[in-house]
Amino acid sequence: MQLFWQNLVNGILSGGVLALVALGFSLVYGIMNIINLAHGAYIMLGGYLAWQLFTSFGLDPLLSVPLAFVALYVLGYLLQRGIINRVVRAPVLATFLLTFGLSLLLINIALLIWTGDTRAVTPSYSGANFTLGFITIPWAKLLTLVVALVITGVLYLWLHRSKTGRAIRATSMDVGAAQLTGVRVAHIYGITYGLGAGLAGAAGALLSLSYSLNPSMGEPFLIKGFVVCVLGGLGSVEGALLGGLLYGIVSSFATQFDVTVFGQHLSGTGLQDVLALLVLLLVLILRPTGLVGRATA
Amino acid sequence: MVALLFVPSLHNDYITVTIRNILMFAAMSYGWNMIGGYTGYVSFGNAVFFGLGCYCSAVLSKYGIDNLVADVALAVVVNAIFAVLVGLPVLRLRGHYFGIATLGILLAASDLVNNLDFLGGSGGLALKQVDQAHFWLYYYAMWLVTLVCMLGTFFIARSKLGYAFVAIRENEDAAEVLGISPTRYKVIAWAIGGVMGGMAGAVFASANGFVDPSIAFAIDNNLFPIVMTLLGGMGTASGPFIGAVLLAGVNEILQQKFIKIHTLFFGAVIVVIVVFLPRGLMYLVGLRGGVRRWFADLRVFKV
Repeated sequence: MQLFWQNLVNGILSGGVLALVALGFSLVYGIMNIINLAHGAYIMLGGYLAWQLFTSFGLDPLLSVPLAFVALYVLGYLLQRGIINRVVRAPVLATFLLTFGLSLLLINIALLIWTGDTRAVTPSYSGANFTLGFITIPWAKLLTLVVALVITGVLYLWLHRSKTGRAIRATSMDVGAAQLTGVRVAHIYGITYGLGAGLAGAAGALLSLSYSLNPSMGEPFLIKGFVVCVLGGLGSVEGALLGGLLYGIVSSFATQFDVTVFGQHLSGTGLQDVLALLVLLLVLILRPTGLVGRATA
Repeated sequence: MVALLFVPSLHNDYITVTIRNILMFAAMSYGWNMIGGYTGYVSFGNAVFFGLGCYCSAVLSKYGIDNLVADVALAVVVNAIFAVLVGLPVLRLRGHYFGIATLGILLAASDLVNNLDFLGGSGGLALKQVDQAHFWLYYYAMWLVTLVCMLGTFFIARSKLGYAFVAIRENEDAAEVLGISPTRYKVIAWAIGGVMGGMAGAVFASANGFVDPSIAFAIDNNLFPIVMTLLGGMGTASGPFIGAVLLAGVNEILQQKFIKIHTLFFGAVIVVIVVFLPRGLMYLVGLRGGVRRWFADLRVFKV
């Protein structure tokens, strides 16, 4: 029983930041129909930014979260206005390859600046944890979850209440109609892509608390973000949150999986992602629009 | 292609291996082109077929059979069966969902092989030592595989089968109304492409003398064929070959000149290609109306 609750809590703790990763990916995908392969690179840049600020100025990674958000928002906005908007209406493969090229560029630039060595951010509370009854909770992961939830909540309110948020949602529903009501689509696309990159950067800064950094660290998170956003439903904030928590819990329980088939020993820790991907395939086949998605998604 | 027959007579192992690798990527590009180019179903997991082909050779070698013909034959059978089994559920998905599902299959296969002791796990499997005296044999085998893929694509594209694929790409619902069963033809295209990639993998593994998951399911094996086909021209019989020769050539030169930053250049090349040639090189061949027309065509995609 203790193991069950501990697994559940671990799953929720790691699911929060996955939700944040998926949220940015999902916005860009749902609103502009871009499969943003550079998302992992933005996560990595956010992480390195937090590391650089921590090692150079001793800045707490939690304080670098807003800085990483702003820096990557600006980068994302400029990339969208300068490059991606040129081919945004081409078949989806064009933007797919374009963001793949951007991702290669960014990862290799990071490799030149920070080298391939593994880095770690170690504030005073990085290894500390506390116990609640019989469950152990690491401080760093709890803080990560709280910040991720706060950002998700703020984004939800902003998308639904603010004028720009409404313009973004209008553009995702019907580009032509949005244009007719005076929405500047190129600008809105820039903001959306900037938001996606900014959220990835914030997630990267948060992840630096509990993961070690290297230039290709974003890749597994990119794939998980993709899975989570398809699980939850494209372009939906609540879907990303739900999908993230579900993914976290499934892969947390998967570590307990341990079987022997035909003399082949298979342990759950090596197959965590295989199981999560199986869940994705099942969801895709049974419910192709995601858990909270609508038929038009 | 005929000129490439004389490469081994140069007796330069470096050149022979480099061109053999270019041929290998060309064969894999033909494999991707069949599903991605002709039916328009963009697969992000075609390297799984190459990897399966590699492991077909490795397993045969494990049981003492070291014969290229047997390797390729097994790869053809295994890949065709695998493609049909996986394709039937997955090819019901449309568009991006198919793409992410294929990526999932590739990652799952790679993780699974990593954890299977029977296939050597992450340590890999060694094949029979490559016979230096018969080094040319592997080259010609790869040449033959590529030729089969090229001619196969050429003839399929002009057959009823090819027209069915293109009909699905242009409008799946309309194709269905015309009596083309989309799932059936998509599975056929996916299986043909899979067989092509598998043959290349089988020959590669024998020539390389060693496979492990990071070689068999390498990211490059997944991405290069997509980029090469896009560069050469999707859904054409010459595009994949032209793209493979150009891109592998550029990559080889970059690797020689700038060992540290060649991937950075590679990323930049992709960005430039997509922005200026989103329809591939074959588009330029068919272009009438010069630069003005080219830029007018580009503006369509802009927002």
